Amino acid sequence: MKKKSSKEKANDVGVSEDVQMVENLVPTKQEKKKDKLSKKKRKGKEKEKKARAGTIDKHVDENEVHVQDKFRKEGKKKSNGQLVGKSKAAQEDEVYEIPSGDNDCSKGMKKWLTDYHQCRPGLKVLQQQIDDFIISYEEKLEQERKEKEARLTEGGWVLVEHHRGRKKTTDSESGTTVGSVSQAAVEDKLAKKKSKEVSDFYRFQKREAQRNELLTLQSKFEQDKKRIQQMRAARKFRPY
Amino acid sequence: MDFKIQELLKEVRLQSSPALTKLVGDTVSAIKSALDKIPEDLQVTADWAPGFVRDIGADKAEFKFRKPRSIEIGGSYSLGCVAKPDANVDLLLRLPKECFNEKDYLNHRYHAKRCLYLCVIKKYLKSSSSIQKVEWSTLQNEARKPVLVVYPVPKLDEVPGLFIRIIPTATSLFDPSKLNVKRNSVRALNTGDVSLPTPIYNCSILEDMYLEENSNFVKKFFSGWKELGDALILLKVWARLRSSIYVHDCLNGFLISVIVSYLAAKNKINRDMMPMGIFRATLKFIETHPLWKHGLYIPTIDQNASLKGNEQLNSLTQFNLAFRISSVAYPELQDEVALTLRSLETCRDGGFEEIFATKIDNAAKYDYCFRLNLKGNRDFCSLGFCLDDECWRMYEQDVHSLLYQGLTDRAKFIRVIWRNTYSDFNVENGLSALDCEPLFVGVLVSSVEKAFRVVDIGPNAEKKDEALMFRKFWGEKAELRRFQDGKIAESTVWESEQGSRHLILKRIVEFLLGRHLSLLEKDIVSVVDQLDFSLLHDGKDLVSHSGRLLGTFEELSKRLRSIEDVPLRISTVQPLDSAFRYTSVFPPEPHPVANKKVDVARLHNLTPFCVQSLEVMIQLEGSGNWPMDDVLIEKTKSVFLLKIAESLQDNWGLTCTASEEDVDVFMDGYAFRLRILHERGLSLVNKEVGRDQTKRISAADKILFVRSQHASMINGLQFRYPIFGPVVRLAKRWLASHLFSACLAEEAVELLVAYLFLKPLPFDVPCSRITGFLRFLRLLAEHDWAFSPLIVDINGDLSQNDEKEIDDNFTQSRKAYKENTQIESNAMFLATAYDKSSEAWTRCSPNPLELKRLVAYARSSASLLTKLILQNQTDPLGWECLFRTPLSLYDAVILLHGDRLPYPKRLLFTSELNQGRHVAHGTASNCFHPFLLPADMKGSLEQLKTKLMVNFDPLRCFVGDVEKEFSNGLKLWYDSLGGDAVGLTWERSKKREREEEETDEKYPVDLLRNIGELGKGFVRDVYLLKAPRLSS
Repeated sequence: MKKKSSKEKANDVGVSEDVQMVENLVPTKQEKKKDKLSKKKRKGKEKEKKARAGTIDKHVDENEVHVQDKFRKEGKKKSNGQLVGKSKAAQEDEVYEIPSGDNDCSKGMKKWLTDYHQCRPGLKVLQQQIDDFIISYEEKLEQERKEKEARLTEGGWVLVEHHRGRKKTTDSESGTTVGSVSQAAVEDKLAKKKSKEVSDFYRFQKREAQRNELLTLQSKFEQDKKRIQQMRAARKFRPY
Repeated sequence: MDFKIQELLKEVRLQSSPALTKLVGDTVSAIKSALDKIPEDLQVTADWAPGFVRDIGADKAEFKFRKPRSIEIGGSYSLGCVAKPDANVDLLLRLPKECFNEKDYLNHRYHAKRCLYLCVIKKYLKSSSSIQKVEWSTLQNEARKPVLVVYPVPKLDEVPGLFIRIIPTATSLFDPSKLNVKRNSVRALNTGDVSLPTPIYNCSILEDMYLEENSNFVKKFFSGWKELGDALILLKVWARLRSSIYVHDCLNGFLISVIVSYLAAKNKINRDMMPMGIFRATLKFIETHPLWKHGLYIPTIDQNASLKGNEQLNSLTQFNLAFRISSVAYPELQDEVALTLRSLETCRDGGFEEIFATKIDNAAKYDYCFRLNLKGNRDFCSLGFCLDDECWRMYEQDVHSLLYQGLTDRAKFIRVIWRNTYSDFNVENGLSALDCEPLFVGVLVSSVEKAFRVVDIGPNAEKKDEALMFRKFWGEKAELRRFQDGKIAESTVWESEQGSRHLILKRIVEFLLGRHLSLLEKDIVSVVDQLDFSLLHDGKDLVSHSGRLLGTFEELSKRLRSIEDVPLRISTVQPLDSAFRYTSVFPPEPHPVANKKVDVARLHNLTPFCVQSLEVMIQLEGSGNWPMDDVLIEKTKSVFLLKIAESLQDNWGLTCTASEEDVDVFMDGYAFRLRILHERGLSLVNKEVGRDQTKRISAADKILFVRSQHASMINGLQFRYPIFGPVVRLAKRWLASHLFSACLAEEAVELLVAYLFLKPLPFDVPCSRITGFLRFLRLLAEHDWAFSPLIVDINGDLSQNDEKEIDDNFTQSRKAYKENTQIESNAMFLATAYDKSSEAWTRCSPNPLELKRLVAYARSSASLLTKLILQNQTDPLGWECLFRTPLSLYDAVILLHGDRLPYPKRLLFTSELNQGRHVAHGTASNCFHPFLLPADMKGSLEQLKTKLMVNFDPLRCFVGDVEKEFSNGLKLWYDSLGGDAVGLTWERSKKREREEEETDEKYPVDLLRNIGELGKGFVRDVYLLKAPRLSS
């Protein structure tokens, strides 16, 4: 994780920290490139120069950035010439211009706008779309089921389906629930019934319970100890 | 708890090591030898410290120097109870009787000589080689009693900043009976011919006279009683964390040790007690025994009857050790003790965190903080600096009584503290420079309703005298008013809008200070509204529209429930959006076009193009005909919604727009987005017993259900604590402006803030937005996320079993994490009654890394905010910094076109970056404008309505596209509330290691350009700050 304390970026403190960060960063870059060609090294130094200039002078406006970029580009072209013989490399340092893309529907703002409007064709159309979808989806499900059945019967097997024996619990006309209890309620009841069992009827049960309690206490003790250690590591015990 | 106490003691206690003993011994002997060099009979006159002698008004301040009678180590070092980080050794220096006359207790002569004596010592100490520097300080902020602070040259690593204080004592210099509280010793203090008693002055001398005796008394108990020492350290840690009681007019380390030994002497503490037992007993004693009224006297052996209580009797010979505790500070101390005792009983883990690890400084404790800059103000010391009491203390009292009278029952406590000593204080120059620190006023509000009261009713007009007093006090603010019950009374009215009621208290304080103490506005810094700017949209607080919003919602739900041409009737309608519970940073403003009738001509120039939608949940009556398949259920819901929309359109003429997922209804300027909760899931959600059951509930239903539960609970909470809403909004705004929108769900923030209100210990419930916000930041920064769950018990209905269940869930999730670090889940464990395993909001985010970043940000913001509240900083820039995120902390930054955001006015600051590598620049698109253009308004109303975009957010689209395209390897940080910067960090993935070196250079640049392409017309600039780290 990086350093994050420089919240007061606008303050002077922040500035000096930024510089520090850059300075820390630069040497590592150089080290990495040590075994590379010396020309690359020169480039690294230039970068460093640029970075420093950029950070120390906080008020560089955009124009200046452009100027600096150009300057660096030239320097790089020279050094890059032999290194990477690709045409793209030359472009690398230019500030790449992204077009506004007002005529291009595949990306960016225009795309999002068209997407948005396409999603809203109007209520009627939507209704139709969904209906179509449901019908085709149901057909698909049906077909899958049939296929499965067909595959099974093909091998001479007859599929004996177990219909879940739940009676119809809702009146199809009014939609109200008739009789029957929901499954969750049944389970709840069952759970309640179970809890009524006497747990300390036999002596061995009591003994076991006691032992269990002791064990959990012990493990909790161990856990606490561990936690304290971790907390100490995190300097939690310094109230200052 | 016991473990933790042990650890705490180990950490805090200054262990005596041979090196330390040697250092102290060496320095003391160096001081002694320096003293030996002072020639006997050196004539000392007032010229040694002319300023001081002049300012305290002493005469006849001259004597011949004699060596001190004795030099002894006293204080906590001699008890072995020094609590870090203050490592100091008190050296008691007995002043020789020969230097003083019998009558020197009069008119500050003693103080002057005492000071001059120290001046001489200082001069000779300076020449000593083993002493680095000698500074002045004061005893308990009492300027007339300076002490010398000596820093030795050699330093010990284990005790950084060790220093030695030289404190003169005046054992048996004067006759104590002459210094009775009833007697006058400063002749200048009189009314007419009658001279007034000077109790405080007398006590000030008595303190010095009995200092040695008292410290011997204390030493007697502490030697060879380890538990007592431990308890003393605990008490010191406890008191030091509470800066409102560890000050000059309340507790100090020495006083605590006296109290403890007093209790030991009275057998209230016996030898079988554990440190915590002693701690508790001492607190109980402080809570019940009125120290301030009765005073605290050392019991002597032969005088075992009526030790305390009868003040007159004892004060003849004894001296009240607690004389500094003022009548104002004592109730505050009692309250703090009561809170601590409550924490001990009710908090998790014995309240260790609350009592010994939470800093209760003034910024977090008081709801309203004021700083009075009195530098150069001469009014307060017109009578001279010191009479009976010192002028600074008198001024504290004046300010307190003024505010107390003015704020009446609005305030629970008002605390006025003026710290006078500063680091390079120099006695020789006099006391006039002691006003350079600002005076601090903290107000603890009794209840928000009272603090926000608009009208204060004074005395009845018939009571002439009282009415006159009232008028005199309030001046032009007092009005004679007739009230509804027919009463005619004097009153003051502080008219203000609903949204700015929190400013009333500030206005009162500023008015009173200006009127009675003639302070200028620029000298009063009130910390009340400095953060409000972040919640304003176009200069006004949008919450003021909430009343209308709720009205519209009521109407809509009535209409929805009366719909008849849809197969199933709508049974319930419930709001989901945070705007309904006053916790949205920017609740939507009524949009002029999203209405039934629109006056196109009256649309102003800056009508926004987008409408925020408000989610509303509806439930249909039961039916058996619902499909069983998840996909089909969702589709069926959409069909229902479309039918409902049609019905609304036909019957009420409301405009509706719909996409396949959402249906939005325009009504009265708001856009409501409807969602259906399918009741089949509902009955099962509550009883998650096994895995298979949870699976059956469709995910969408579950989320909806949890959200509705959350919405109703928070809504209830919000009514209980009116200040809850603003604090949540500040917290959300802070998170968003530091680009954490993706990390922490809105609901999670609400729960975190709710926790502050539900479990305020060791504080009171926060009653101002800044205090609440500060505590939110501290909670985020200090809560032990890795090892403890945060249980938010909104309605107070969690039973012991529930808590145990939560704990079990927590340990389980941590265990799973330990076994497989790949599952980064639940780094922040937030449990509530409706969600006991923290699955709803924080399951996926923040992940441990994000949380770490979050905590670090919260910590630095909290310390910045504390500094802003307590220290002299008036510029608004500092406050803005709280919401200005440093962009240099990301690997790459994407800046957006601020004027292509849907609500450009919500942008706090335009982000600029001038470091890193400028990789790409984009031009803004012309297709989208945040405001309606004149061309748009030309078409018919219907056309205009279709042009409005509900919930259109280019930022969200952009983030979605980028995440879809480059799902692994990078992470975006953004501000969903209208920031124009997106931060980007590389995720350390193993994949990239394999990539070839040649691509290293280009890879990030190309990638960033591609990302820029995805945001065509929206992205302004792309900067690369740091290439992904490659392990070569």
